[in-house]
Amino acid sequence: MTPIQQQVKNWLEEKRVDIFLAYRILDGHPLPHAFTREHIEETAELVTGPARYSLEKFATHIASRYPAARIGMVARDCNQRALNVLRVWNQLKDGQVETVPVTCCPSHLHHHADCSYLEPHPAGAVKQQLGQAPNQSLAEVEAQPAAERLDRWLYEFQKCIKCYGCRNICPVCFCKECSLEHAELIGTGHLPPDIPIFHLVRAVHMAGRCVDCGLCEDACPAEIPLRLLYRKVNAIVKDLFDYETGSGDTLPPFSILGDKPTMSPMPLLAAAQE
Amino acid sequence: MDLKFVPSICSYCGTGCGVLFEVLDGELVGTLPMKTHPVNQGKLCIKGWNLHEHINSPLRLKHPLLKTFGRFTKVDWGKAVDVTAHRLKEVIAAHGPDSVGVLVSAKMTNEENYLAQKFARAVIGTNNVDHCARL
Repeated sequence: MTPIQQQVKNWLEEKRVDIFLAYRILDGHPLPHAFTREHIEETAELVTGPARYSLEKFATHIASRYPAARIGMVARDCNQRALNVLRVWNQLKDGQVETVPVTCCPSHLHHHADCSYLEPHPAGAVKQQLGQAPNQSLAEVEAQPAAERLDRWLYEFQKCIKCYGCRNICPVCFCKECSLEHAELIGTGHLPPDIPIFHLVRAVHMAGRCVDCGLCEDACPAEIPLRLLYRKVNAIVKDLFDYETGSGDTLPPFSILGDKPTMSPMPLLAAAQE
Repeated sequence: MDLKFVPSICSYCGTGCGVLFEVLDGELVGTLPMKTHPVNQGKLCIKGWNLHEHINSPLRLKHPLLKTFGRFTKVDWGKAVDVTAHRLKEVIAAHGPDSVGVLVSAKMTNEENYLAQKFARAVIGTNNVDHCARL
């Protein structure tokens, strides 16, 4: 037994958690699996990768049906950030989810991704000429002349087949009603959907919410570089409100829940004017 | 608290995308694309994403319905087959076998689809067979 398998087995036996979300190989595919005390022997099959599913989203489904459930899961950095956001937004209770950290995406600490989906891959010739390559930095995109940049984004958006995969796979998308399905906001019955409104509505809602996990871009059949778009939106939130999504205990500045704004508007601008 | 993940193949068209069903307490609550499936590689279309919805839909047909005088009534399978056979014979006798078409479905198995086209060609005597997955 590997140390993680042993740890999960102990957690379940000690009743530290009621259910543990991780992966196991089934028919040759690494698939998410819920490990329980009733089938404790399955912990010997537990693996941590290489595929990545939104385990925290499954956790919210369990929590909404069993509010007292104690849930364990393996967590990469992105899972951890998503869990923070879900906790801040009251989708999970404080301390309801216990995590076993596992290695993940490239960062300044480790350059190679264990999660193969997120290795930046070079764009093909057509995408390089007409679209936005997903492996660019924000600075590279912003260096493009405004008209060209708009054309490139519109080229990406018009490929959309409106599968809602970006929203469905998103670990921090939990609203009961979604603006993207609101007929008065987004026209229905034609493809591509209203561009760029469809994508920008989602982008605006990702401000202060997106944890940059890359699942949306991975699930997009049209290969729209969504991660790049949401990264820009969150960079604005960081610049204007100094809010780091997925890290703190506070709601993002756009929260309309409660009586007053949760953060002062434009702290950087106010500091500059002083 | 019983959460299961069941791998399957999308039944909407002939592409054969790998899907993963999220089953909570025996109830199908969600469909996900299978990340490692060689066909769809973690992507799905809007139909695949909503594959679980028809399973628990209250609109789902569970019994044969017979339309008489403009109203549907629930009948058993024996009666439904008898009426259908009788009416098909009448139509074929009056207008010929090509007045009948057989529509099959991706929701059926390959074998059932084979039987349906065999029924159309060998029993009724028409080549009018079509399928929703002929995209």
